[in-house]
Amino acid sequence: MSEPSNSKTGRILVVIGRLALAAVFLFAAYAKLKPQTPEPWSVDSIKTSLSMFAMQVDSYQMLSSESADFVAHSLPFFELALGLWILSGIWLRISSVASTLLLGGFFAIMVRTYAKGLEINCGCFGPGEHLGPKTLIRDGSLLALSIAVAIGAYLLARRKTNPPEPAASPIGFERAR
Amino acid sequence: MESYRIARGRGAGAIFALFAFAVAAPAIAALQNTKHTPAAAKTASLSDEYIVKAIGSRSAPITMEVFSDYQCPSCGGLYEQTLKPLIADYVASGKVYLVHRDFPLPIHKYGYEAARWVNAAAVVGKYPEVEAALYDNQASWSADGNIAKYVASAIPGDFKHVEKLMESCPIETAPGGVTPASYSQAGKTAHGCPFDYSIEKDKALGNTVPVSATPTFRFTYKGRAYGPMSGVVSWPIMKQFLDQLLRQ
Repeated sequence: MSEPSNSKTGRILVVIGRLALAAVFLFAAYAKLKPQTPEPWSVDSIKTSLSMFAMQVDSYQMLSSESADFVAHSLPFFELALGLWILSGIWLRISSVASTLLLGGFFAIMVRTYAKGLEINCGCFGPGEHLGPKTLIRDGSLLALSIAVAIGAYLLARRKTNPPEPAASPIGFERAR
Repeated sequence: MESYRIARGRGAGAIFALFAFAVAAPAIAALQNTKHTPAAAKTASLSDEYIVKAIGSRSAPITMEVFSDYQCPSCGGLYEQTLKPLIADYVASGKVYLVHRDFPLPIHKYGYEAARWVNAAAVVGKYPEVEAALYDNQASWSADGNIAKYVASAIPGDFKHVEKLMESCPIETAPGGVTPASYSQAGKTAHGCPFDYSIEKDKALGNTVPVSATPTFRFTYKGRAYGPMSGVVSWPIMKQFLDQLLRQ
């Protein structure tokens, strides 16, 4: 039995969205962990990058120093794990919901910070990027993409468990009678 | 014959000595003059001289540059919460060389004027005192523009000198953080305010960073630049970063 064309398109769109989301999370983790100066990767370079990221988290002025430090030292690894999970496609419904929650949280924090008038760096993809309308639009778009992938993943899963009934054929109709 | 040779040799030696004196005397005089340059002559040349506003030892392993506007509340926050303990601890112990870069913003009415006062104080070696006084009393002078009052209270002994230096910097030539109309790229001002050159030089450097908001800061360690970063960062978090750099 061949797959209906709209289901096939939906599946392709979900795969594209999934790959895009995975790429975003993997790049975000890479940008936070990579050496911030031209030097080879090392444990020290990663520690330095993470302590720089801690300054960016702290500049949002939402957390205590200890909490900002904890978030900065765990978030890049969580993003790395989430990126790999989404890329694998395993339990996509759960991973896409996790990414939606994370991106929704980021977006809410960024909107709050912008509304408060704090002139800080976003810290989303490494240092030096000012938090402004451009970053809000970008993160809002990523949140929309994540929501779309989550909805797509649920619809595809539902279609899999409850396949649409085949169209009644004249023969079938006759048999039923 | 021998005595003639000796006499000729002596004569040549004397001529050489006279020639050497004629050449060396003006050079020695010039050197002596530079050692005892009157203060007035020195200030006259300030308009094309970059004024360094820094605290600590130049040979410190870490250099931290802070681009800030004295009237910006976040810059005040960074100074009070983070830079004060940094100065007391890491700058005092020779670990950090803290450099201030002027970046007065157009939205702040007295930012440029405050930067001029701090540059004038730096000329007499009182930059740290005046910077502290301006940040400590930011809310007061930001309301009425009376910057001189706080400069005077910070450096009572040197205020007259600083005030004299500021004579050629009328307030109307520093319209709210904007480059004064009288300022030219050549580094001179029609009004002759000698500090605009340093302020504009800092702003030009800031634009290359680029500085999009104040405060913005960056670090240099072992020839490598870290940053730029913007906003207020608490001292424990910045300390952790500095310790991490020093461990490398």
